[in-house]
Amino acid sequence: MILVMLRVMALGLWRDRAGLVLVFVLPPLVFIVFASVFGAGTSGKLDVRAGVVDQIDSADSRQLIQSLQRRLSGRLTGWPDVVALEDAIESGQADTGLVLQGDLADTPTPVTVLVHPGRKAAGEVLTAQIDTAVEEDLPELMLRREVARLDPILALTPDQVRRATGAQFGHASPPPFAAQRILPGGNPLLIYYAGAVSILFLMFTAMQGAMSLIDERRAGLRLRLGLSSGGVAPVLGGRMLWLTALGVIQAFVLFLVAAVGYRVPLLANLAAWAATAVCAAAASAGIALAIAAACHTREQAQPVSTFAFLILAAVGGSMAPRFLMPEALQTLGWLTPHTWVIEAYQAVLWRGLVNTTVIQAWTVLSSFAAAGFLAALWIEGRRRL
Amino acid sequence: MSRQVVLHLAKATRSYGNQAALDHVDLELAEGEVYALIGRNGAGKSTLAKAAIGALALDAGSVRVLGADPGRDRNVRREIGVAPQEIALYPHLTVAENLDAFAALAGVPRTERVSAVARAMEETVCAERAGERVDHLSSGWRRRVNLAAAIVHRPRLLVLDEPTEGLDPETRLILHRLIDGLRGDRIAILLISHNAEDVAVLADRVGVMENGRLMVEGRPAELMAQAFGGRTELVVRLSAASPSVESILASRGLAPSDRGLSWSGTVLDAVTQASEIEMALRWVDVELRELAVHPPGLDALIGWATRSATGSVGA
Repeated sequence: MILVMLRVMALGLWRDRAGLVLVFVLPPLVFIVFASVFGAGTSGKLDVRAGVVDQIDSADSRQLIQSLQRRLSGRLTGWPDVVALEDAIESGQADTGLVLQGDLADTPTPVTVLVHPGRKAAGEVLTAQIDTAVEEDLPELMLRREVARLDPILALTPDQVRRATGAQFGHASPPPFAAQRILPGGNPLLIYYAGAVSILFLMFTAMQGAMSLIDERRAGLRLRLGLSSGGVAPVLGGRMLWLTALGVIQAFVLFLVAAVGYRVPLLANLAAWAATAVCAAAASAGIALAIAAACHTREQAQPVSTFAFLILAAVGGSMAPRFLMPEALQTLGWLTPHTWVIEAYQAVLWRGLVNTTVIQAWTVLSSFAAAGFLAALWIEGRRRL
Repeated sequence: MSRQVVLHLAKATRSYGNQAALDHVDLELAEGEVYALIGRNGAGKSTLAKAAIGALALDAGSVRVLGADPGRDRNVRREIGVAPQEIALYPHLTVAENLDAFAALAGVPRTERVSAVARAMEETVCAERAGERVDHLSSGWRRRVNLAAAIVHRPRLLVLDEPTEGLDPETRLILHRLIDGLRGDRIAILLISHNAEDVAVLADRVGVMENGRLMVEGRPAELMAQAFGGRTELVVRLSAASPSVESILASRGLAPSDRGLSWSGTVLDAVTQASEIEMALRWVDVELRELAVHPPGLDALIGWATRSATGSVGA
């Protein structure tokens, strides 16, 4: 009996292609995305984009920048002044930055690392890269710094040293070469995750609603609806509007919790937030309708949508911060609605901006919505029942 | 006065791969006429119904409803009502909400919608359940509402797919009266049914389909007379199949089914034949489960139509 049941279950899975993909293909794919993100993070190989302001312009500073440039694989960009660099970090053009502000040989802490409050890991990586660069590529500079630090001590007698600094002087740590300064602006990571979670669940909610298309087909309702005066267009159009409205309400509830519980500044730019929410919900609705129209049964649509949405979420930054991802994955993320939604929410709520990125995001999300809806319309229009 | 042709199919042909679902079907249905389409499962009845309402693209031939192609003309689609075999309703809406939604989708103006819904509920005798959700209704009530949704916009062509399936006699009678009333309102009705009573009571004409072809059509009484004359259907059921009985039963024009356990056919002087068969079977020691004589039913008519079309057996 047990073997019979075993065989029945095995055949069931073997003949369920979508199930096979969900069971055996999706987990490794999601793992690959996470491994790319966190594997790189733990090995210190994050593809950090950094900015630099060189206020010294000495041979040492140029050598340090050269070394960092090599270590960051060319992702180090020069900026004219600190304000410009701070703006670049705030707008997302750079993940973090460093300011070379004093003679590297004799200033106690000549380098300041500017850290975005939402991307502290990027600041940590850059700080570590600076320390390594100095130790490995500029050992002579380190020696000069040590000499400069110990020079006043070397001129004293041991008794004078003891009196001046106490018994612990010999064990005192040198000041850090690079110190971090966290830029102001609350915690944008909360906005990031509010956006990331919002788009993740918008997709699933929209799919749940869109699958009523399949139910209608199965129940013969589609036959009856097909006779309606407007044909398929109003049937799909009404559904698109509903799913969009539902998505906006869902996003509002989520951001309301974030605003009340975690001080996410929802009211700071409510109109731009609303426009982003509408575009995000419409994009989800369009994609969900296209999948539902293309699938014949719920059994088909469920795994297909789960697979697609989890992959999109992983690549798009809904599961792990985008700045932790390898550059290739970050680039790939721009093909997903998730990345655009996250970037738009961050811009309008954290930076209070409706900048080019936001306008682009609205355009891309609206295009997803239109393309999905038109695809659904085309498929349903061609489908004769 | 001649009646207007509402539905006209000319050489309607549609295939799925090598399988012909519709094979050069010609059919005309006039206003106030009930045309019953009968045939075995997979014969092409539902395909024909879908083609008739423009929900199925034809490979060849044409479909016209009131002179227009229902697949392309939105206006003529408003003149069609359909009650599919499935309960094509929104289960989470009440009866009245469903009918209101379908009336709106069919283009009934807002001002006329309340009266249209009330009339449809009255005709299908489901007004007393107007406020109940469809998923709380029994199957009989759902089927009434399914029909109400098909007529709420007063179509001129009504396609009914097994409208009385699973209904109790009382509800069946209500639907018979309703369909009769709709015929009186000059609505053309294409009825797909396996139910002999529906066909006998309601149909003005019957068409028999097999393998996508319309084998024969005509008035029910004329068709039955043509098919069976004074013959009666004789049904024999055996406890076990036996080669020794095959010649006995086949020689009397009976055909086997159910792996030789069941034999049936239309015969003259059925009572005498039944008695002779009973004796013959006792002689070869085969146990008889059932020996029945009754007027020929739809299955017999379908069988006759198929055989006569292929020329295999005469009536």
